[in-house]
Amino acid sequence: MDVREEQVGGVTVVQVKGRLDSTTSPMLGERLSAMLGAAKARVLVDFSQLEYISSAGFRVLLQAAKLADQNAAKLVLCGVSGKVRQLFDLGGFLDLFPITATRDEGIAAVS
Amino acid sequence: MSQIETTIRNRREELRKVVEAVDRIAAEHYLDADVVGDMQVALDEVLKNIVDYGYTDDAEHEIRIRLRVLDSAIEATIEDDGVPFNPLESAVPDTRAPLRERRIGGIGLHFVKNLMSEVSYNRIDDRNRLVLRKKLTA
Repeated sequence: MDVREEQVGGVTVVQVKGRLDSTTSPMLGERLSAMLGAAKARVLVDFSQLEYISSAGFRVLLQAAKLADQNAAKLVLCGVSGKVRQLFDLGGFLDLFPITATRDEGIAAVS
Repeated sequence: MSQIETTIRNRREELRKVVEAVDRIAAEHYLDADVVGDMQVALDEVLKNIVDYGYTDDAEHEIRIRLRVLDSAIEATIEDDGVPFNPLESAVPDTRAPLRERRIGGIGLHFVKNLMSEVSYNRIDDRNRLVLRKKLTA
């Protein structure tokens, strides 16, 4: 897994590439916690390059969403498609996170 | 038909060896990426479960994994000497609870049952044996 961060205006865009499983998800969890620990942080996670996500990855996303809630920060996901979308659907996660189709829509939604 | 056998210790960091083994056998047989992804997710869930909850002591244990590509399916057999546990009897998680009440417990095995074409469990002597099978075509 490869995690790339980029600042677009006041938004941190996090591009996650590869696989999000029990081996790789702790690293993403640490990065997201650090970002969302700041009050009013704006974070967009781009999953368009993600191959798959296991429950360990969803655990990290749930923790991040709860942290965002506590800190009046915003967390939005984009690029959830194909196999990854199927797993979101299977776990009942599609309605749990704000999700946009494209990165541009995500930046607009999180700003 | 070909097969790969690998043995890992009951530690989280060992799971990457299994990911690599699945990639290797998948590459040899040019398996479809979605089929491989489903098997990778299922194995991650099953093995994480064994490592996290399978043992009542802190000792080192071995988990055996055998991967086979058959005519129409990829198969993984997982054997461990942990506490008896049949994943097929696990409760169905609530996938509609709101964020504040959402628990991740049970989601992993829900994935396993839904992503795999066939799952069978046996307790043989003092070992759990779980067989996962995923059809190569939809």
